[in-house]
Amino acid sequence: MTQTTMEPLVVEREQTKPGFVGQSIPRKEDRRLTQGQGVFFDDLKRQGMGFIHFVRSPYAHAKIRSIDVSKALALEGVYGTLTGDEVAIQTDPFFELSTPPGSEIKDYALAVGKVRFQGEPVAAVAAATRELARDAAELVEVDYEPLETVVEPDAALAEGAPILHDDAGSNVVWSGVFDWGDWEAAKAEADHVLTIDYLHFDRFSSTPLEMSGCLVEYERATGQWTLYCNLQMPGVGAIWMAPAMRVGIDKLRFVTHDIGGGFGNKICLHPYFVACCLLARKLNRPVQWTEWRTDQHMANSHGNERVFREVEVAVKADGTLLGFSCKAIDDCGAFPRYEPLGAIIWSQVTPGLYRWRNIRVDFTQVCTNKSPVGPNRGYSRLQHLWLTERIIDLVAHELGFDPVEIRKRNYVKSDEMPYETPNGCVYDSGDYARCLDQALELVGYDKIEERRRDAEARGKLLGVGIGSTLDSGTNNFGQSTLINPELQFSGNNEVATVKLDIFGEIVVTLGTVPQGQGHETTASQVVADILGVTPEDVHVRPGHDSFWNSHAGFSGTYASQFAVTGLGAVKGATENLAWEIKRVAAGVFGAAPEDIELEGGQARLAANPEAAIPFMGIGAIVNANNAILPLDVRDVTLNCRYVYVPPFQLPDKERKFGNLTLTYATQIHVCVLEVDRETGAYELVDWAVVDDCGTRIHPQIVEGQVHGAWAHGVGAATSETFAYDEDGNLLTANFYDYHVPHALDLPPVKSGWIESPSPFTPFGSKGMGEGGGGAIHAVCAAIQDALRPAGKPVVYDSHNPYHRVWELMTRPEESRKLISVESR
Amino acid sequence: MLLREVQYARPGSVEEALQALAAHEGARALAGGQTLLNVMKARAASPDVLVDLRDLEELRGVARTQDGGLRIGAMATYAQLMREPAVGEARPILAEVVAQIADVQVRNRGTIGGNVCSSDPTNHLPPLAVAQRWTMHAAGPAGERDVAADEFFLGVYFTAIGPGELLTAITIPPGGSDGFASVTLGVDGTCIANAAAQVRDGQARIALGCVGAVPVVVSSPDEVRAAAPDAPADVHASADYRRHLAEVCARRALEQAS
Amino acid sequence: MITVRFELNGEAVEREVDPRRLLVHFIRDDLDLTGTHVGCDTGNCGACTVLVDGEAVKSCMLLAVQADGTRVETVEGLAANGESSPLQQAFSAAHALQCGYCTPGMLMSATYLLRNNPEPTEREIRKGIQGNICRCTGYVNIVEAIQEAARK
Repeated sequence: MTQTTMEPLVVEREQTKPGFVGQSIPRKEDRRLTQGQGVFFDDLKRQGMGFIHFVRSPYAHAKIRSIDVSKALALEGVYGTLTGDEVAIQTDPFFELSTPPGSEIKDYALAVGKVRFQGEPVAAVAAATRELARDAAELVEVDYEPLETVVEPDAALAEGAPILHDDAGSNVVWSGVFDWGDWEAAKAEADHVLTIDYLHFDRFSSTPLEMSGCLVEYERATGQWTLYCNLQMPGVGAIWMAPAMRVGIDKLRFVTHDIGGGFGNKICLHPYFVACCLLARKLNRPVQWTEWRTDQHMANSHGNERVFREVEVAVKADGTLLGFSCKAIDDCGAFPRYEPLGAIIWSQVTPGLYRWRNIRVDFTQVCTNKSPVGPNRGYSRLQHLWLTERIIDLVAHELGFDPVEIRKRNYVKSDEMPYETPNGCVYDSGDYARCLDQALELVGYDKIEERRRDAEARGKLLGVGIGSTLDSGTNNFGQSTLINPELQFSGNNEVATVKLDIFGEIVVTLGTVPQGQGHETTASQVVADILGVTPEDVHVRPGHDSFWNSHAGFSGTYASQFAVTGLGAVKGATENLAWEIKRVAAGVFGAAPEDIELEGGQARLAANPEAAIPFMGIGAIVNANNAILPLDVRDVTLNCRYVYVPPFQLPDKERKFGNLTLTYATQIHVCVLEVDRETGAYELVDWAVVDDCGTRIHPQIVEGQVHGAWAHGVGAATSETFAYDEDGNLLTANFYDYHVPHALDLPPVKSGWIESPSPFTPFGSKGMGEGGGGAIHAVCAAIQDALRPAGKPVVYDSHNPYHRVWELMTRPEESRKLISVESR
Repeated sequence: MLLREVQYARPGSVEEALQALAAHEGARALAGGQTLLNVMKARAASPDVLVDLRDLEELRGVARTQDGGLRIGAMATYAQLMREPAVGEARPILAEVVAQIADVQVRNRGTIGGNVCSSDPTNHLPPLAVAQRWTMHAAGPAGERDVAADEFFLGVYFTAIGPGELLTAITIPPGGSDGFASVTLGVDGTCIANAAAQVRDGQARIALGCVGAVPVVVSSPDEVRAAAPDAPADVHASADYRRHLAEVCARRALEQAS
Repeated sequence: MITVRFELNGEAVEREVDPRRLLVHFIRDDLDLTGTHVGCDTGNCGACTVLVDGEAVKSCMLLAVQADGTRVETVEGLAANGESSPLQQAFSAAHALQCGYCTPGMLMSATYLLRNNPEPTEREIRKGIQGNICRCTGYVNIVEAIQEAARK
């Protein structure tokens, strides 16, 4: 075991009898969702409700000279409008996480004085129907004075570049140098130094099929807003919104039910929601806003775009990687919002899966006239993991190493776990080499050269690529202090409440905000095992309601953590409830709680199972017949709330060092594709993925998450991009041009798994929803491999549509200019 | 979504449809609606009146002509063309190509007439129409007239069907051998480049989509580059790459036809 | 306003509707059947798929007035008396849904496919659901569920 300085506590696990945990039981959510009875926010209606349509900027950068809403207000059926001027009076800017200059940026619910990206909302209209609201929005007259735009991150840093935020005085949001180990010494020790001038991680998003939105009710008597919505992280949403709206946090009630996919894209909805709240109050009527697809593409959160420059890699003659150094320029679009957290979150996976110890990253985040970014499945880690995977494949490609062998040589070994990374993160468990072997076997890697020859005979170039990646889960929010030491965030928490009701119903309330991950099902498995009932006996309330009081500051569903934090909370609450039930039964029988066992929906004496009280009796006694209980049991409520808090410590701000996440799930992908020599078009012909997320609570759900993350990666690698022209116009604002893979585009995927239980978590499970972008890495590597006979071009972009592949094939010398090797 | 206000008319015959189209300057014929309604959802076009052709059964027929060609009603849907025996016998390429258009739902509503009348440069059928020398039959206030495919497509979203006119049917002359090739965004997706070819009496006729406002005709793949000087550039292809793809498609379509 | 009359999941419907209203909004907002979803604004995603006279169509590519005189089936009509159809059961058994947002449209496309082609090949299944975007599953288990339902 590697010497660790900040190792989390190892959880002692009791041996439990086999139960529902680990089984793929039918999902509780499925009946309503397959019968069209799901409850999504847009399904809700209220008497007199107004429909909101936002007036959005056609310009990427412009001054707002004036806004005239009079014609819109004159239209019959229009209830009212809201403009940036009103917002600036009624609210304060949202707080910024950054240190200067980013901290000086002023971000409001609507554009105030200036627009900074195409699609930015400048006004809102509420009307009696959806159609009328749009009619009225067209009548709002906005006088713009267009300004010079800055679209590329490099351009944002250039001397004399147009400045987006005058208050900040710079397009830089945040910058800092991360320096671990001794890069200079590693470089001096190296036999080869590989230099890559430019790598680009492209802009895309997971584009959940359900658009963002909310229905807001305002109650004048109490000043209370209720938001029926699909915000996936209400805890943080409230922290943004309440101070900006100058109200206490309890004035904002967030309710979610079914959510049609989140993927992180539904975290930064607070500007829209504040506008809706203000309109609900102004008009004194319920209002409803549903984003449209075009709006989502133009103006909801995109994934972070990142440029890597001056990448230098130190390699020994035998292929041992010593370290790397680079400049990273991250483009967060027009407003930071969740940023600059992305400037630190990548460092959860600083070395990727590899043992190199000397890593230096000079990180700068900039604003450009593009849609703001937000967390997107694999947030900030997949960009960095793509870098590490590109590096290893380019090292192999340029120095003649086998991509499999060089990985195995440099992978962190299973017997080195828990492994402390150069920046103090602790990889809890895993066996990367075993996963890789299994994935290679699934695609028949030993026969690949035959397939390559067969493809050649058909005019195709076959390529194989590996994407080996990590999904770090359960954040230590203390990492935020590494970008801003003043921030008062650390650790993590999640809540669950489990109660036994008066008729014996077992009711579970989660603090999480599921969007398809099957929390109702997996929570019921955990509860059933502890209480000795079946999952059908357990009712898990769908969705989230902040008035349930079953949430904490970090509640939500994000960052691969439910299997640890959510189920950790469920386990804790259920164990407390079990103890209370035992105390009640013991009180009735005049026994000790330890003498009671829970089985078949009854509490009974272990020594005499005939002496049993059904849960219905326990619920009735405590709730309605408690005078029969001994005095020392009357504190029992059968309503147990538990806060799971992972065992984190504060990171070291000086060294930017510490354990930033609790678990690390592995995904190893192998992609086989064929490139058409004549066109550059390519087809994915085979795919394998092997997952290791520790103990699997519900294997089918785990596999479903693997499939989903894979599909997102394939889309990002092949046909999904948010491309802008030089004026800041989005070129892919709909599903025609932003092509999401459909069923014919994706090959059947072969999936495998191993289980390396985490020593740090309640069930040995790990968060695993994000997949680490493995499919993107694999496609890039496979294209690189396929094009080897076409002049060895360098795959330098994470997104490779046909035209880029064609350029690589026909002008390999262009991309080869980006790379050089100094061998000693 | 959320169209501008529009009136709706549902004529029972071609004559009634022509009257309705003539009655309002801003009237548009509504066939399958798979393009027009999308354009209206974007509010990129806002007709005052939609004249729904759904009840005009006479526009749906598909039959062999005496000379062995095909006469297809403008309201024949893609799905219908895929299963019509007459198409399979006379011009199987048509069934093959329409099977690549969009998806099941769109093929159930979208019509051959709507496809050519929308004159979208990325559509599949305009190059096929031009390569195979379709004849378009139009009815209007001044009576019926025929337009050759060569003269039908006038620009992006712009055809020879004038105000008040209606495309009623299409005749596909008896053919030689046919080919069609495309490079698409995703499998069976939007065309980045496409080409249709017909070889008849040893003469090749190739029509290219996607490289101009209207299909571009060449007789050999070698002519493609010179024939498509104005190939558009977009997020999916530069002008040069698109020309290259057009050349590859032309060669492949010709190969299939030969 | 125009009066439309049609049969919706076996029941007669008669309503006044603004001619500009799309069928999907009419079904969701006016008739309160919210199982049919909206996932895009360009007719690409298929979340709004319904059957009109037995044919799968996207209800965002159809005006409500165009449904006059037709027979419309939505996801709510698939489960007879609350009993899930074999296809619905197969979707659950194969874990063919996660968030469930695309599921109603996917089920309608699959229902249409299986009615017209009871023993589809994998390729035919993929072709049959090409017009339905799912962002959660990568289609792996959806294809499997449709295969499974076809076997029954």
